[in-house]
Amino acid sequence: MKLKKLAVMATAMTMLASGVAFAGDVTWWTPNFNEARAREIVAKFEKANPDVKVKLEITTSDGLPQRVLTALQSGAAPEVIDVQHAWINGYAQNDLVLPVDDVLKDRDDYIPAALDYATWNSKLWGIPYRIETHAIIYNKGAFKDAGLDPAKPPLTWDELVAAAKTLSKGKLSGFGITGGGEMGNTIFRSLPFIWMNGGDIISADGKKALVNQPAAVAAVKFYTDFFKNKQAPASTLENDGTALRRLFIAETVAAYQSGQFDIASIKKENPKIDIGVMQIPHPADKKTAALLGGWSFVIPKSAKNPTDAKKLVGFLAEAENQGALTDTFPARKSAMSLPRFSDPILTVFKEMLPYGRAVPNNKNWVQITQAYFDGIQRILLGDEDVQKSMDGAAKDIQALLDQK
Amino acid sequence: MDRNSTGLVFVLPALIVLAMLIAYPVAYTGLLSVTDRQGAFVGLDNFNAVLGARATPQAFWNTLWFVGGSIVFQVVLGTAAAILLNQNFVGRGIVRSITLLPWVVPGIVAATTWAWMFHTEFGIINYMMTGAGVIPEPIGWLTNGSTVMPVLIAINVWKLFPFVAIMVLAGLQSIPNDLYEAARVDGANFWQEVFHIMLPQVRSVIVAVTLLLVIWGLNSITIIYAITRGGPANRTLITPIQIFRLAFESTNFNQAAALSVMFFAVALVIVIIYIKALASTPGEAK
Repeated sequence: MKLKKLAVMATAMTMLASGVAFAGDVTWWTPNFNEARAREIVAKFEKANPDVKVKLEITTSDGLPQRVLTALQSGAAPEVIDVQHAWINGYAQNDLVLPVDDVLKDRDDYIPAALDYATWNSKLWGIPYRIETHAIIYNKGAFKDAGLDPAKPPLTWDELVAAAKTLSKGKLSGFGITGGGEMGNTIFRSLPFIWMNGGDIISADGKKALVNQPAAVAAVKFYTDFFKNKQAPASTLENDGTALRRLFIAETVAAYQSGQFDIASIKKENPKIDIGVMQIPHPADKKTAALLGGWSFVIPKSAKNPTDAKKLVGFLAEAENQGALTDTFPARKSAMSLPRFSDPILTVFKEMLPYGRAVPNNKNWVQITQAYFDGIQRILLGDEDVQKSMDGAAKDIQALLDQK
Repeated sequence: MDRNSTGLVFVLPALIVLAMLIAYPVAYTGLLSVTDRQGAFVGLDNFNAVLGARATPQAFWNTLWFVGGSIVFQVVLGTAAAILLNQNFVGRGIVRSITLLPWVVPGIVAATTWAWMFHTEFGIINYMMTGAGVIPEPIGWLTNGSTVMPVLIAINVWKLFPFVAIMVLAGLQSIPNDLYEAARVDGANFWQEVFHIMLPQVRSVIVAVTLLLVIWGLNSITIIYAITRGGPANRTLITPIQIFRLAFESTNFNQAAALSVMFFAVALVIVIIYIKALASTPGEAK
């Protein structure tokens, strides 16, 4: 009798531990910012598919890459996971997720750069549903106080530098850049400057490091000079995107790059700030650029119920549902016409989308960006000048590219 | 069956469980370190790639500096605190409990709190020091190449010295009173008691605790990772964090395994040297 009880308990524990799903069950991991909207969509999906039960598990973005990777490696993964576009290639190359070409419909309706991220070996390994790029958020009041016209924000690099110089007075920094915290934040903010200047970190064929070429060096110098010339906060080396937002809210930073997700919290925490949004300035004779970010769905290879997982992902990929779920913009053009994307403060962010580019697909991409990020920090620390630091980064990156 | 092999049969289940929990991960790490992502044998390629990275030697020296610096202060401060807490004074119980607090606070909570306290703009440390006129303008404690490592060592010392203190205190309390009485009859003062009774009597405790600190130090990630993530520009990158980055940020488990294997060998050598040099020289000061 006692033994039987024990056996039942042991089985229950094993099932709990391994997250066994019964036929018809789909577990979906989605980040906390999606929770409310995801619950509504799940209710809708279950109504349309009464034989499938969706179990929603809420994740937090801090430490999420590690958590997802551990789940994928352990062989006991959920059926559907929301991941950032840039992570998908690593999963595909390590054979951790299923191809989803059969789930994707209306390929032409998607922003091409979003699909680029999810493609490897000419197969599609994730379905993008959310896309976003940065623009520059600025404090119109600070512009006025400095004698600048808030209706005519800077368009070119030179104009941005001049504006930052005028704005920086006393405790106020003209233009905040990141140089610490989450490494991805600095890639997101500095890489577009390299792109719009015609450079890149690595060549398109993934064979050569380009980060010490003149176009990239000039862009990195442009970016880091804001700190060197004291137009960015003294704490730049420990600031990531969140820190910059806090400094903007505290009115010690007049302008910084970010996405539309920052607007709500700025409005809430400091309603006095008159928020302006401008496109990211570009070199005088060139076009602007931005890094396209966002989220996709992947189906782990070890998912117990891939059939229903694909059903759910297919449902979530419908334009209407993408438009409802996304925190920023949907990956499908047809969903963009929904009323919630017509708020005037979003206009500039929407204008930036066509300039959005995907980061290169390389299996060592994270290590490559780490080498580049270390280089940026060496410059900010004053250890090395821009050319020397980028030469060192290029050497590190080349070694990574030369690995088989 | 003789007595020995009968015994073996009895411990076999436990050995199998141990093998699964310890030997399997170790062996699997070894296997990962000589294969590529697809599982094909690649010889020493992963080792070469890791050793070729500029961060590797830097991380190794940072590790020695971080672990060594932390342990010296943890042991000295911890022992001093233990001797102090062993004295009779009013409120001793409360002071003993308060001393333990840093050790009880979860590492990630402590690290995040310290990171904000040391922040250049928002940190209370800069606020108080500039307010009191100690420093003219805020110092970038965590962003200045020369202050960041000492600050992290200080935080690590703060976190773990209470553990040393409590262990040494337990050792001090087991010293028989006769020794003190005999010493006092001979006219020994407080410092002579410290150096000729207390320290020799708790020597074995200190040796064991130090060994624990070495092992923990070589495996510590939380404090540094939560505060600087190894930055700025790898100034605080220690080998365990480098392994973590390779595996969980770069999804390069094979190189991470190669680095782990090498780090394991180095750690083993350090621990063996330590045990040989210190733990097995008994009774010299008795």
